[in-house]
Amino acid sequence: MTSSRRPRTLVVCVAAAATAAAMGLAACSAGKSGGSINSSSGAFGTVPTASGTPTAGTITWAEPPGSAPTWIFPITPGADFTVYSTDDFSYESWRPLYWTQSGTSPKIDQALSLAYLPTYSNGDKTVTIRMKTNYKWNDGQPVTASDSLFFLDELKAAVKESGSNWGQYSPGVGIPDQVVSASAPNATTLVLNLNKPVNPTWFTENNLAQIQPMPVYAWAKSSATGPVLDFTNPANAKAIYDFLAKASGSTGTYATNPLWQVVNGPYRLTAFNNTTGAYTMAPNPSYDGPKSKVVPTLQAVPYTSDTAEFNAVLSKSVDIGYIPQTDVPQISRVKSSGYHVFGYPDWGFDYVNYNFADKTGDFNNIINQLYVRQALAHLEDEAGYVKAFFHGAGGLAYGPVPAVPTSPYSPANAVKNPYPFSITAAANLLKSHGWKVVPGGVSTCAKPGTGSGECGSGIPAGTKLTFNVLYVNDPAITGEMLTDWASDAKKVGIAVTLQAGTFNHVVDVADDPGSPKTINQWAMSDYGGFTDEPYPTTFGIFNTSGSDNGGFYNDAEANKLISASVTGGNPNAVKAEASYLTEQQPSLFQPNIDFIIVWKDNVSGQPAAIQAMTQYYLNTELMYLTK
Amino acid sequence: MSAYLIRRSATAIVVLFGVSVFIFLMLHVIYPTPAIDVLGPHANKFSIAQWNRQHGFDDPWVVQYLRYINQVLHGNLGYSYKLNQSVASLFHERWERSAWLSGVTLVLSIVIAVPLGIYQAIRRNTLGDGILTTGAFVTYAMPDFFLYLIAIDLLAISFPIFSFEGPQTTSMISIIFDFRAMTLPIVCLTLLNLAGYSRYMRSAAIDTLAQDYIKAARAKGLPERLVLLRHLVRNAFLPMITLIGLSIPDLLAGNLICEAVFNFPGLGLLFYNSLGNADYPILLAYTLVGAVLVVVGNFVADIALTVADPRIRLV
Repeated sequence: MTSSRRPRTLVVCVAAAATAAAMGLAACSAGKSGGSINSSSGAFGTVPTASGTPTAGTITWAEPPGSAPTWIFPITPGADFTVYSTDDFSYESWRPLYWTQSGTSPKIDQALSLAYLPTYSNGDKTVTIRMKTNYKWNDGQPVTASDSLFFLDELKAAVKESGSNWGQYSPGVGIPDQVVSASAPNATTLVLNLNKPVNPTWFTENNLAQIQPMPVYAWAKSSATGPVLDFTNPANAKAIYDFLAKASGSTGTYATNPLWQVVNGPYRLTAFNNTTGAYTMAPNPSYDGPKSKVVPTLQAVPYTSDTAEFNAVLSKSVDIGYIPQTDVPQISRVKSSGYHVFGYPDWGFDYVNYNFADKTGDFNNIINQLYVRQALAHLEDEAGYVKAFFHGAGGLAYGPVPAVPTSPYSPANAVKNPYPFSITAAANLLKSHGWKVVPGGVSTCAKPGTGSGECGSGIPAGTKLTFNVLYVNDPAITGEMLTDWASDAKKVGIAVTLQAGTFNHVVDVADDPGSPKTINQWAMSDYGGFTDEPYPTTFGIFNTSGSDNGGFYNDAEANKLISASVTGGNPNAVKAEASYLTEQQPSLFQPNIDFIIVWKDNVSGQPAAIQAMTQYYLNTELMYLTK
Repeated sequence: MSAYLIRRSATAIVVLFGVSVFIFLMLHVIYPTPAIDVLGPHANKFSIAQWNRQHGFDDPWVVQYLRYINQVLHGNLGYSYKLNQSVASLFHERWERSAWLSGVTLVLSIVIAVPLGIYQAIRRNTLGDGILTTGAFVTYAMPDFFLYLIAIDLLAISFPIFSFEGPQTTSMISIIFDFRAMTLPIVCLTLLNLAGYSRYMRSAAIDTLAQDYIKAARAKGLPERLVLLRHLVRNAFLPMITLIGLSIPDLLAGNLICEAVFNFPGLGLLFYNSLGNADYPILLAYTLVGAVLVVVGNFVADIALTVADPRIRLV
């Protein structure tokens, strides 16, 4: 399982271009001395404790732009895989084996999980999972181990047809490819035999947590009126998958198809508008997981731009919404109209990727030097960016595991910047490695060679410290951060040419595994980042053969540590991996912007559920409306 | 007349062919295949190539073009892999909304702009003309999104008289009678159109007032009311017919920013979102439909001109 590409545009502004430009003017007017929030905490506002008398009603929730569900079947194809359609829409009705979010922390919430923590045996090649007995389908039938097995067999059938049929698929790694055989010896026990040892923590949190038990008795069919089939037969599994996937492609029938009415989660879909993406979910009275005394009906209200969503908040038309990044300066207006506000950064990282294969100006050899990457990191004023460009609503991140949210796997250098902002430190690093630093000009290599105090391998005398950075022009804060960084780089004679482009253009040029023709056209690229898995390995991103290793980073030690995170027996292996990568700086890590949610004063509930919304988890069953 | 119709039809086909080739070719250059959209960002080269082969995206572009045109001629406008729906069904779900919004706006704009323009022409350089001219220039110069945002902030948020967004229902009857939700978008769009239309009408009326037949009518002692109605309005309206013909494409898709700001799920919004999502099958179909409407709009305007002015003959 690799991390998923962060939908950063969901968190920030995707308003009408013209509107965004207008709002941007206001955003730009704040200097680096602006802002009022302690950026090291990452939190923006607070969540009050639950209060008030619960009353029945409907909670309206603002669906961010572009997040209208286009898929309902739990095995979600890559094309339909988004944070909201997967996590919020699907999980409301079909809960995963393990719930991997607890407030703002990316860790398993036992109470919300359908199974007890698994046990590993046979040298970490056999996994035994025991299902809880209190969870039932909404017609009273128990959720069994066979329902989990059904998911796995359908997953196998899906990826056998095409790897694209599951957005989380990583060939040969994790489920389903590593599962050699699986069985359900009784109603509550699921046993998986794997082809090789796995890191138990990685497998549980990043793989087993993906399993969503599906009702065998209702879904194991190849037609609406057909009999229930033996899904363990691969031919049947394929026929069932084709039937369910076809039904899932029919967005107009989501609320009426009897298939999707069989649920084990807190909600059941009752209305779906496939033109707008609006939907309504009624509470499932049979749900036996944690819930409030009076579970509200959930109504998702789609917004096509951040501007429209923010207008809805200002006019008090939604109970739960969010504040677009460009509108953060208007928070007081939102508060005064009767909303609570809380923001927190997403669990993941934004980065400017280095191109370790770009031969233009010997950039590949320059960036291969650790001291250069360290100097570039020293030039990044993260706290300043958060203050000035995020209006205080952001968290710091020095490596692939950010300073916040905190996790059991956060290494020490995740919270203490190993390369704090210091132009002097950057200049000294360059000088001490044979560079003639020309502040305001272009520094050059004065001492070529591989010895101490010399520029390093492959860097001839006279090599100039000049290169380009390709970045996305939306959101505007990306350009603002890079412009500031380039300005500071200039002070030590690093001449950076900034080139803005659309997301598609930047990915086309800079995602080199897909476009090797452009390999020498970019030195650095910034097109977003990744949302980390609960067990935050960068497998797929910074290992040499990673499918998302767009910059051709190649480090034997990193490969070894990443491999240990996935296959080693040490549950804390990922901590060493994150620590090493934070030290090695395979890319320039950037601060993470807060996702700021707002909720009306008459909405209350468990604080953790409200906090979790900043991580794209929606648990309205743990909330309630007050009188 | 028949010869004219045949000639115009032939020209229209050539124009549409040219537009379709140009758009398809441009699209092919920047978006040769939707494979990544379908297979996801982690797809490897092998699976992308396999998908392209299975779906004909590795054929020469000419073959792909002919296949696409064949589909279009059979009513298949393509498939949006990002929205999991056929483009035709996406258009079908939305066109009525956009047509209603634009249609009402167009009618209101004309109904108000024509008398306004004539009034200004007759009362040229008076205080009333000056005020209306200033108002028209201000509205015309104002970015449309700015007007929408001000209207929402003032009349939906500060003084919540109207809704901040368009109707979200799928029922056209509900949309038509949802005055609270439809008022702001219709009024704003009308104001924006009105500014241009009234200026056109004013100029045309001033030109017409200077014509000899107006002077002759007045010299013959025809009442001023009849001079205006019989001679001025009919002649001054001719340029407006061309303008209205050119506005026909807007009926379906001219309100892109308006629909985006007012969260109004019409065709303009679909196009806007498709731009952001790089949903090229929708963009391609939308552009083609737009081209058809431009051709049709011009054609209708030409016919309408001959009806309004018998001196004009279609040859």
